[in-house]
Amino acid sequence: MSIEFAKWVPWLPAAAAVFCGLCCTNRRMRTLAAPVCIVSLVSGFLITLGVKGQIGGELSDAGTRLQVFEWIRIGGLNADFAYYLDTLTVLMLLVVTGVGSLVAIYAAGYMAGDRGYARFFAAVSLFIFAMTTLVMADNLVLLYLGWEGVGLCSYLLIGYYYQKPSAVAAAKKAFIVNRIGDLGFALGIMLIYHQFGTVHFSTFTADGVVYPGLFEHCSRLTLAQVETPVLVIPFLLMLGAFGKSAQLPLYVWLPDAMEGPTPVSALIHAATMVTAGVYMIARLLPVFELSPYALPTVAVVGGATALFAATIALRQHDIKRVFAYSTVSQLGYMFLGVGVLSTVGGVFHLFTHAFFKALLFLTAGSVMHGLAGQLDMRKMSGLRTKMPVTCWLMFVGCLALAGFPFTAGFFSKDMILAAAMDRGLTGQGTMYTVLGIAGLFTALLTAYYTFRVWFRVFMGPTEYEMGEEHAAVEDTPTDGNEADPSADTSIDDGNIKVEHHHDAHEMGWLMNGPLVVLAVGALLAGWLGHADSSGHSWLLSVIEGSSANPTRMVEAAAGHAEAHTMLLGMELHTAMMVISSCLSVLGILVAAYLHWFNRPAADRLAEQWSGSARVLENKYFVDEAMDAVIVKPLRMMGYLCFVFDRLVIEGLVLAVGWVPRIGGLAVRRTQRGALQGYGIGMAVGVAVVAVLIAMVR
Amino acid sequence: MQLSMLIPMMVVLPLLSGAALLLLPSGGKAIKAHALIGTLATLGVSLLVVCRFDWSESQAIQMASAIGWVEGFGLSFGFGIDAISLWLVLLTTVLMPLVVLGSFSSVTHRFKEFYGWLMVLEAAMIGTFVATDLIFFYICFEFTLVPLYLLIGVFGGTQRLRAAKMFFLYTFTGSMLTFAGVLYVAWFNTTLPWTLFEGAGRWTFDIRTLYGSAQAMSHGQQVWVLIALLSGFAVKVPLFPVHTWLPLAHTEAPTSGSVILAGVLLKLGTYGLLRFALPMTPWAVVTIGPYIGAFAVAGILYTALICWVQKDIKKLIAYSSVSHLGFCVLGMFALNSVGVGGSILYMINHGLSTGALFLCVGMIYERMHTREMSRMGGLARIMPVWAFFMVFFCMASVGLPGLNGFVGEFLTLMGAFVATDVLGPAYAAIAGVGMILGAIYVLYMVGRVVFGPVVTLGPSLGDPSDGHGVRTDDLNWREIGVLSPLAVGCLWLGLFPTTVLQTLEAPIEGIIEPTRSILDGGVYGKGVTIDSDSERIDRDSDFPAARRVLVLFDTDRIAQP
Repeated sequence: MSIEFAKWVPWLPAAAAVFCGLCCTNRRMRTLAAPVCIVSLVSGFLITLGVKGQIGGELSDAGTRLQVFEWIRIGGLNADFAYYLDTLTVLMLLVVTGVGSLVAIYAAGYMAGDRGYARFFAAVSLFIFAMTTLVMADNLVLLYLGWEGVGLCSYLLIGYYYQKPSAVAAAKKAFIVNRIGDLGFALGIMLIYHQFGTVHFSTFTADGVVYPGLFEHCSRLTLAQVETPVLVIPFLLMLGAFGKSAQLPLYVWLPDAMEGPTPVSALIHAATMVTAGVYMIARLLPVFELSPYALPTVAVVGGATALFAATIALRQHDIKRVFAYSTVSQLGYMFLGVGVLSTVGGVFHLFTHAFFKALLFLTAGSVMHGLAGQLDMRKMSGLRTKMPVTCWLMFVGCLALAGFPFTAGFFSKDMILAAAMDRGLTGQGTMYTVLGIAGLFTALLTAYYTFRVWFRVFMGPTEYEMGEEHAAVEDTPTDGNEADPSADTSIDDGNIKVEHHHDAHEMGWLMNGPLVVLAVGALLAGWLGHADSSGHSWLLSVIEGSSANPTRMVEAAAGHAEAHTMLLGMELHTAMMVISSCLSVLGILVAAYLHWFNRPAADRLAEQWSGSARVLENKYFVDEAMDAVIVKPLRMMGYLCFVFDRLVIEGLVLAVGWVPRIGGLAVRRTQRGALQGYGIGMAVGVAVVAVLIAMVR
Repeated sequence: MQLSMLIPMMVVLPLLSGAALLLLPSGGKAIKAHALIGTLATLGVSLLVVCRFDWSESQAIQMASAIGWVEGFGLSFGFGIDAISLWLVLLTTVLMPLVVLGSFSSVTHRFKEFYGWLMVLEAAMIGTFVATDLIFFYICFEFTLVPLYLLIGVFGGTQRLRAAKMFFLYTFTGSMLTFAGVLYVAWFNTTLPWTLFEGAGRWTFDIRTLYGSAQAMSHGQQVWVLIALLSGFAVKVPLFPVHTWLPLAHTEAPTSGSVILAGVLLKLGTYGLLRFALPMTPWAVVTIGPYIGAFAVAGILYTALICWVQKDIKKLIAYSSVSHLGFCVLGMFALNSVGVGGSILYMINHGLSTGALFLCVGMIYERMHTREMSRMGGLARIMPVWAFFMVFFCMASVGLPGLNGFVGEFLTLMGAFVATDVLGPAYAAIAGVGMILGAIYVLYMVGRVVFGPVVTLGPSLGDPSDGHGVRTDDLNWREIGVLSPLAVGCLWLGLFPTTVLQTLEAPIEGIIEPTRSILDGGVYGKGVTIDSDSERIDRDSDFPAARRVLVLFDTDRIAQP
């Protein structure tokens, strides 16, 4: 298949988005939305598979540029709608369209009967358009279009149940916090343009003129030539990455984003959009490598976020929130991986995480669906008898997340931690050793909190409370039409098409089918990155064939890593595998004891540590602190400015307006209509003029 | 028909159809239809101009002609069009039929006056953009005040008289000073030797001729002229801190008035700065530009914060206009093609998206009879089509890439960022905070009005629980027809801005050439400079302007040939 077909990958979902948008207006067309969306995503996936077949053939190592149309061109700035395809792009496209298709199929069942059915699929299609544009962009401005585009879709989908004030607030928060990061990103783009005079990645020729791309500029620079402004670039870009990928201190929006429908949480807030930051750093690694402090900063922030978010996840009771904090934590791992120059590890973890975290969210969605919106794990127990398939699917996801030996998460997490330890032990900074140990400790916490959820929900005696979704506005199973407000009250009350079971129940195979695919991925995807005896793996070849391949710094560090590092008498990778396996099993066992066999013990423990437990339950009071330190003062400033505007600035203008009036008051007395006065005035005037004339002469 | 007659037709057609309105019977329908046909015909003529325009020569004044007036004094109705003017004319002629169509249900009395004055306003606005004669420009510029004064004063809200008076006096006072500056430049031209360049040494108000004479002024003279120009144009933009007339005028104006005010009239200010300040007083612009940029940045942040605490949805959008126009001015004073191009695009974008937002708000006001955000909410549930348009235009307004707002915003910031010789990264970084604040206040509004639980309380006067007269029907086809072209325009300019940008590049080069040559140390002015050391006059010599030599014209010392 010609590689040119890749152009259609974003535009098929875009067309689907328009179509689904039209479906919103017509009641009969509404059910068409899901099939159209799914078809567009699946065709995108198939095209990507075709393009993958061209790796090494039509798709060369240097990357291929596909021009679609001219977008912004003025005065030397050249930002076209052009795509850049290399192996990293293909990998990301596989994740986005693959997971996207599976989630869309699941959602076709999950969202059935909702009045915003077509709107949901319109937003999902639009999201896939933006996300594929993001990963395929050949220039930073187009990448930024995708970047903000996924932000918009995230906003629309978090606020999907828009009548719930909490959902609206969460959507707003997500957009605004992301905007803070995006400002850094935008300034980074401007600085790149200022320094390099270009914003596109690849070098291309148009009308006989060669336009060297960013990567070529970077490779030409030697580290000695790098000037201060260039050193700043990665830090600005980083801000954008931290916002989109929910890292410290911009992570606050992601847990709240769980207000959206669960398929959205799985697709956007776990598998794809939030990994955009990792992708961006991997893609722009040549720029990040120019600054000696940039990647270490990324590593520290990643490691700190991983640990920080994992501690919060220990004491959350809402299943989706546990997984949300877990996502923040896992994203931290990815940043750690990229930061310690193991782009392979970072991207590998991105890849495996997409499988198991999407699986976890979707199974959590099934539980929520089965229990009519119930998400509080204190109010459910022993659901394995009611939802056996969901139970074991989630079990697979939990194993992968916990890093149980030979599951997907095990290999990728190990690769990152080993890379960090390797750098630490070869004397490139104790910082890396600390980060590696923190990562290991996080792995222990992860295993514990993951299985805490699973044991609480599925093990133990079977008892549960149904949620209140029937009464709540969010998932009212009316068949009304969005563009037809009268429809849902008059006609549909007696015509509910989709029945909600009134007891916990298993999902149909429309919803469980995609989950099985994800579960297989969660179990087996790790082998794709597992190095064979000669040290090669499919994933390594993907990274080496792309811009994400760290060259500069690896060469600089080459002097250190001649021999294989040893730890505990074993080769480092083996040692790390053993340690993390032990930690994973230990975490699972502790969770089993506290949340399956001896639940009262867990409660007693929480009571003994009630202070810490409360701090964790309240997420370290970060939201409250931010509200008090940033939001409230800013709003106060707004009020002050408004008052200042009305009183001082407008007041000054009005005061100026009084000047002629006062002047008028002053001379009004002379205009009193008495002839004598006018006579005197005339005489004086004539006299003054006469004197003046005499003086001039 | 001669090609050059197209432009006067564009100006006269709305005037004539406005006059013809008076002959019609006073029934509503005929007048509405007539007004719509009149504006559509004008749109047709402007599209004809677009077709006949030679895009390869987009910087040239095309279809130029002049109708003599007081020729001894150099006055004429000179007109002509280049790409910048053409796009702004097109913005006007596209908006007008939509404004007329959008007013069908909101105006309930005095149809003749209303639509008549709208047509006069259109003629004046088009006249401003096509004038190549300063006095003609100034007449049109000032004459826009009269129709709008009446539109606000007669058809406005409860405080309409105060708003109309403030609007009129504020902008009128400013532009009187501008007029003084213009006259000074014209007078200065008469003092120049006639050999200097074509048109020097006599009374003329031809804009291009006056560029040359104003450029020949000393730095001090240029500063005074720039201040005079600013006092009119900055009020019109409006630039912080002379913006206080705008929120009041917008809130009290009828929807149509607000749309025209935000859509086109504010652009007269930025257009004036672009057309006059930049090429006429380049030297002063280079030295004062950073301060103007600072005011623009301050205005962006200051008004954005104010937006966030508004309770009246229309006032919020009005203040946001001030914030947006700050970007526009910032990009313009970056004095590079990226910044100025972004600035011009921003003028068009803002006209479309903010105009559309005012239309959306007007449609809500017609139904709810209130603009208080606390008295409405969750309208997405009951008016989904309206909600779609509202969110769409809000996203265009916060600069979402793919829609038009982004291109202008990004280019103006980028222009300011890379213009290290005038503004620099600090300006862009601080102004960029406006992007965040913009998202905050717009989403605050959307969150309250479009999303959330349904609230339709209606006006707070009278019985608050009653909601008397509140309608919650969704948009009808006419209203969808008003908003759709604007939405298409926003999307088109977001995806294909290059079609506009490419035509702007050449005219921008011409406009920023004098300032650029000062900044780059090249030749300045029409090759006429005086070496400050030897007081010798060099004509047509390559004089390095980097030395910032003062150009002093002492007419006595110039040898008459």
